[in-house]
Amino acid sequence: MAEVVLSVRNLSVSFNTPDGVVHAVNDVSFDLQAGETLGIVGESGSGKSVTAGSLMRLNNSVTATTTGNVVVNGVDVLNCTEDEVRGIRGQDIAMVFQDPLSALNPYYSVGAQIAEAYQVHHADASKDEVEQVVIDMLTKVGIPHPETRLHQYPHQFSGGMRQRIVIAIALVNKPKVLIADEPTTALDVTVQAQILDLMMDLQRETNMAIILITHDLGVVAEVARDVLVMYGGRVVEKASINDLFVAPTHPYSWGLLGAVSSLEDLQRGHLKTIAGTPPSLISIPSGCAFHPRCEFYEGVGSRCSSEVPELRTISSGQSMSACHLDDVQIVSIGKSKVLQ
Amino acid sequence: MYLFIARRLFFAVLLLLAVSLVTYLLFSVLPVDPAALTCGKNCKPDLIAANRVRLGYDKPVLEQYWLFLKGIFVGRDYGMGQAAFSCPAPSLGYSFSQHQCVTTLIGKTFPVTAYLSLGAFVLWMLIGIGSGAVAALNKGKWQDRLANAFTAVGVSLPTFYVGLLVLFSVVIWLGILPFPHYASPFEDPIAFFQAMILPWLTLAVLSAASYTRLTRNGMLEAMNEDFVRLGVAKGLKRSVILRKYVLRSALVPIVTIAGLDFAALLGGAIITESVFTLPGMGKLSIRAVVESDLPVLVGTTMVAAVFIVLANVLVDILYGVLDPRVRTK
Amino acid sequence: MNMRRSIVAVSVALATSVIAASCGGSSSGGSGDGTPKKGGTINILSNAEQIAHLDPQRNYTGDDLAFAGSTIQRSLTTYKFAAGDAGSEVVGDLATDAGTASKDGKTWTFTLKDGVKFEDGSDITCADVAYGVSRTFATDVITDGPSYAMTYLNVEGEYPGPYKATAAQQAAYDKAVTCDGKTITFNLKSTVADFNYTTTLLAFSPVPKAKDTGEKYDMHPVASGPYKIESYEVGKSLVLVRNDQWSADTDTERKAYADSIVYNFGLDESAMDERLIADAAEDQTAVSAGILPENLQTIFEGGDKALTDRAVNYYDPFVTYTNLNVKSLSCIDVRKAIYLALDRDALRKAGGGPYTGDFADGFIKPALALDYKKATPVEGLHEDGTPNVEAAKAAMASAETNCPDVAAHAKAGLSFYYPDTDIWKKALAIWIDSMSKAGIKIKPEAVGDPAQYWPTVMNPETNYDIARGGWAPDWANASTVIPELFTTGGGFNLTRNADDPDYKAFETKIEEARNTLDRTEQGKKWQELNQFVVDHLWALPGTFTRAQSMWGSKVGGAFQWGPFGAFCYGNLWVK
Repeated sequence: MAEVVLSVRNLSVSFNTPDGVVHAVNDVSFDLQAGETLGIVGESGSGKSVTAGSLMRLNNSVTATTTGNVVVNGVDVLNCTEDEVRGIRGQDIAMVFQDPLSALNPYYSVGAQIAEAYQVHHADASKDEVEQVVIDMLTKVGIPHPETRLHQYPHQFSGGMRQRIVIAIALVNKPKVLIADEPTTALDVTVQAQILDLMMDLQRETNMAIILITHDLGVVAEVARDVLVMYGGRVVEKASINDLFVAPTHPYSWGLLGAVSSLEDLQRGHLKTIAGTPPSLISIPSGCAFHPRCEFYEGVGSRCSSEVPELRTISSGQSMSACHLDDVQIVSIGKSKVLQ
Repeated sequence: MYLFIARRLFFAVLLLLAVSLVTYLLFSVLPVDPAALTCGKNCKPDLIAANRVRLGYDKPVLEQYWLFLKGIFVGRDYGMGQAAFSCPAPSLGYSFSQHQCVTTLIGKTFPVTAYLSLGAFVLWMLIGIGSGAVAALNKGKWQDRLANAFTAVGVSLPTFYVGLLVLFSVVIWLGILPFPHYASPFEDPIAFFQAMILPWLTLAVLSAASYTRLTRNGMLEAMNEDFVRLGVAKGLKRSVILRKYVLRSALVPIVTIAGLDFAALLGGAIITESVFTLPGMGKLSIRAVVESDLPVLVGTTMVAAVFIVLANVLVDILYGVLDPRVRTK
Repeated sequence: MNMRRSIVAVSVALATSVIAASCGGSSSGGSGDGTPKKGGTINILSNAEQIAHLDPQRNYTGDDLAFAGSTIQRSLTTYKFAAGDAGSEVVGDLATDAGTASKDGKTWTFTLKDGVKFEDGSDITCADVAYGVSRTFATDVITDGPSYAMTYLNVEGEYPGPYKATAAQQAAYDKAVTCDGKTITFNLKSTVADFNYTTTLLAFSPVPKAKDTGEKYDMHPVASGPYKIESYEVGKSLVLVRNDQWSADTDTERKAYADSIVYNFGLDESAMDERLIADAAEDQTAVSAGILPENLQTIFEGGDKALTDRAVNYYDPFVTYTNLNVKSLSCIDVRKAIYLALDRDALRKAGGGPYTGDFADGFIKPALALDYKKATPVEGLHEDGTPNVEAAKAAMASAETNCPDVAAHAKAGLSFYYPDTDIWKKALAIWIDSMSKAGIKIKPEAVGDPAQYWPTVMNPETNYDIARGGWAPDWANASTVIPELFTTGGGFNLTRNADDPDYKAFETKIEEARNTLDRTEQGKKWQELNQFVVDHLWALPGTFTRAQSMWGSKVGGAFQWGPFGAFCYGNLWVK
C-alpha cells in the first residue's frame, strides 16, 4: 500500500453570511495516496471548491467555521498555528486555480512569482540558484525561451501558457499533494488536453498526489483513479473511476451519467442538467439533500426526507454510496441506468 | 515612450494657449469694468477712461492677448519717464493693484501653496491609505465602522467650516497654538510649522476621507482576487501578501486620482489659504477675481493649468510604471 | 472676500474719506487708560490684503490716511491727534503753523520747520513738497487720490505731471507752486478759505524726487514721520519700525509710543472678531477697524463691561441720502409725498438695523462741529423713521391741484436707478411698497455692474427720477459737502436742481459762505444752507452711518479720531 499523503476526517465548513449560515461542506472524509489522482465532481455549489480550499486553510477565517481534521505530512492543517500552516502551503500541498489570468499577480513578472514561491520555503537560496530553479521550472512546464520569458508579465502570455506558469508556481517546491481546482475550465478545448497531459507527466515524475476538482466528468474520466461525487455539501458516492461509469451507486450519479447524451458530449464535458435545481446551502433539504430531485423518493418514502443517509459500502464491490435504497436495488438500477 | 511624452507636452502647450485665450475672452465679455472699480471719489468718465488706458484695457482684446504672449518671451515695459518700469521675461503682466509683476507675485505665493499642498498631501495619503487599510483588514468591525463614519463625515464637511472651527478651538479658545503667522521654513522653521500644522491637518483629514474609502474598497476587492489566494497558497506571510498583492493593486487607481488632486491643490487651496491666512496662490487668485485683476487671474490660471496638464502626463507615465499591463502594450 | 472695504466702496458711497465724531458705546477712549508709555508692538488686524495706497498722493481712504498720516508720513498741516471736537482742529505739521492766506484767499504760504528729515537723513525741502504735490497731476500713474491740487492750483495750460512734462509745462507748474527757502507758496485759481484743511491730505506731503518710483512708490514710500517701513508683503504684513531721523522736537502731535506697528493682512473676519473677544496674549495689543454684524450684540449689549469698554460704536464719516431729480419732480408737494411715504425704518432694518446708523436730519454730520446744527425736518416726518402715509397722501392731494403734470408723472411711474445687488434689491422692494401706499409708482432700473452705477447716474443722458446718494466730506468743513452735492459746479450733484426757482438765491448764499474767512461765521452759514436743502427736499436725508471697532485689553489711546473715523494709529500705546 502506498503512503497516505493526505487524510481528511469529518471535514465540515460553514459560512456566516448576512442571509444566514451556509453549510458548504458536511462531514467529508477521504484519504489520498502518493501518486494517486482523486477527482471531486459535482455541480457548482456542491461544496467541492470549499473542500479544496479547506485542505490548505484558505477559506476566510472571519466568516468560515471549519471543523474536522486535515492531516498533511503529519500536521493537522485545521488545528495548527498560522506559521505551521504557512510551512505546509506551497511546500507540501499546492494549488492550481481555475482562471490562470486572475490567479497571477499582474504587477510582477512571472519569473518573480515563481521565484517568490520557491524562496518562501528556501530562504537561503542564492539569487543564481533561484533563477536556475525558475528556468528549470519554466522548461519543465513547457514554456519556450524561459530565460527571456521569465521577465515578462502574465498578460503577455496566452491562457494555456499562463496555466503552465501557475502549475510551475505550484510545483516549484515539489509538493506531495496538488489540488487542481477546475484547471482547464477557462481554457480552449485544444489546450485543455495539453494541460492535463502536463499534469499527468509531472505526476509520474514526482509521484505527487492530485486532487482534481471539476464539474466535468470527461476530465475526470481521463485522469482520475478514484472519484468523490458531492451533492449539497456531502459526499454522496465514492468510487473508482471504472465503477462510477460501469456501476454507479447513487441516484444523483445516475442523473449525472444519464444527462451525458453521447460519448462526444462526454469528451467535450457537456453535462446536461438534471431536473430540478441544486439545493440552497442555507436551507439544505432535510434528510437526503437530493430527495426533492430524486425519482425514487416516492418509492422509498419519508425516510429520505427525514434521515441523512450514511455513506456505506455497497455490497457488490468497492463503491460507497449515501442512499436509502437497499443494496440490491442500487446494483440493479445502477446497471440499468448505464445500459440505457 | 519619448514620443509619447513629446506629444503630450505639445498638446499641453496648445492647451495652455487655449486656456489663456479663453480667460482673456471671458474677461472681456464680463459685465465688470475694472477701470471703474478703484476710482473712488474721482469716478468721473474722463478719469475712468484714463484709468482704462493705464491698465491697458483700452486696446482690443486680441491685441491685449498678443502683448501678453509677447511678454512671456521678451518681457514688458510700462509707463514712461521716471515712472517707467518693466517686467522682465517671462512676464505674465503687471498687477496694478498690487504693484508687482505677476511673475514675481506667483514666485512669492507659489512656495507657500507648494508647502501647504505637499505637507497636506503626504499627511492625507498616510491617513487615507492607513485608515483605509485598517478598515479593510477589519471589515465589519468597529475600526471599519469608524472609518466609514470618518469617510461619510469627511467628504461632506466643508473645508471652510472645519477650518474655522479648528482655528477657533485650537488657537482662540484653547490657545494651544499662537495665531498662524506664515514664515518661510528657511527663515523661521518654528513659525512655519506653527502656521502650517493646522491647515495641513485640516486639508489632510478632509481630503483623506475619500482616500480611506478608495483604499478600503480597493483592498477588499483585491482580497477577493484569485492571485491573492494564490499568494496565500504559496505560503507567503500575511504582511507580504498585504503589501505586494493587496495594497499594490489597490494603490494603482489611487495614484491616478491623487496625482490630479495634488495638481489641483498646487493651483491654490483657496479656502484653506483664506481661512488660515496663508499668502499662497489661492488667495492671490481669489483676490484677482474680486478686483478683476486680469493679469494676475490669467497668470494663476495658467500656473494651475500647467500643473494639471503636467500631472496628467505624469500620472499617465506613472501608471505605466505601476502597471506593467499599460507599460508593455 | 474683502467685505469691509467693499461695503465702503460699493454699498455706501462713492466718497472715501474724512470727518466723523466719536460717540456712542464707550467713552471715546483715551481716558482711564493710565499714563502712556513707550515700547511694545501694536498689531492691526485686517481683512484687506494690503493698504489700498501708501503712496501719499494716492491715499484717499479715511482709515489709511489716519494710519499713514499718524505713522510714516507728514503733510503741511494736520488735525490735532485728539479725541472729540479737538480732533478737528488744524495745526501745522511740517509747516510751522496752519498756513497764511492772502486777503483774497487766493495765495497761501507755509513755512517748513527746521530739522524735518526723511528717513534717509536728507532734509525735507520746499522742493520735495512741490514735487510731491505735482505728482497728483500725473493721472496716468497716480490714480485714486484726491484731485484738489488740480482743481485749485493756478497752473497755466496743460500740465501732465512730472513724468511726462516738457520744460515749459514744468515751468508753468513751478509758477503756481513757488519756493523761497523754507517757504512754499501756492497760487490758487480762486478763493479757497479753507485751503489749510486741504493740505492736511497726504496729497500735500513731500516726496523726494530721486526716490520716486512712480507706480511702485506705493510699496515703499519714503518716511517723514516717526515710523518707517521695515517690510511690506501684500497679503501678509506691513511692519513699521522707528525712524531715527524723525525728531520729536519738530512734531507736536505724534508721540510714537510703540516700538513697532504691525499691520496683519488677509485675516478672516470672523477670526479677527473672535481673537479680539478672546483677548489672548498676542491679541491684547491688537486693534481692528470693524466688527461683524453678528458679533455686535455680544459686544455692546452682552453685559460684559470689560468687553464693552474695549469697543466703540461711532459715527463714520458718511451720510447716506436719496437724490431726487428736481427737474422732473419740479413740484415740492410730490417730493414731500415721497419723503413722508418712505419707510426709512424698514430700509434701515433691511440694511442691518440701528448699528448701521442713525436717521439723519440733514447732510452735515455732527462731527463737523462748527457747521452742524440739527435741522428742522419737513412737517409730519416721523422721527422714528416710520412712514406717515396720511401726510403723504395729503401732499399728493395738494400736488393734484398745484402741479397735476408732476403728480400724474409720479402716478405713472418714477424711474428708480439702483445697483443690481442683494441689498439694493431688498431696498427696491421697500421703496415700491412704501410709495404704492401714497399712490406713487416705482419703475425699477437696475444697473448690472455695481461699479458702473455712479458713472451711469452721473451721465446727464440718464433719465432717473430717484437715485441713491452717499457722501463723506474730505475735510472738516461743510464746504466739502453742501457745494459739492447741491451746486451746479459741485462734483457730485445728482439733484438736477439748476432750474429750481430758489436755486439762484441758494448759489449766492454758497458764495457768501465760501468767502467768509471767519470760521464760526462760516459755520452758521453752512447750517442755514443745510436747512435750506432739507426744506427744499432736493435730496432726502437717510442715515448718519455708524461703524464699530474693537481693541485688545493692553491697548492704550484707542480713541476714534474724528476727521477720519479711525484709530489714531500712531499714538496707540502698549499698557
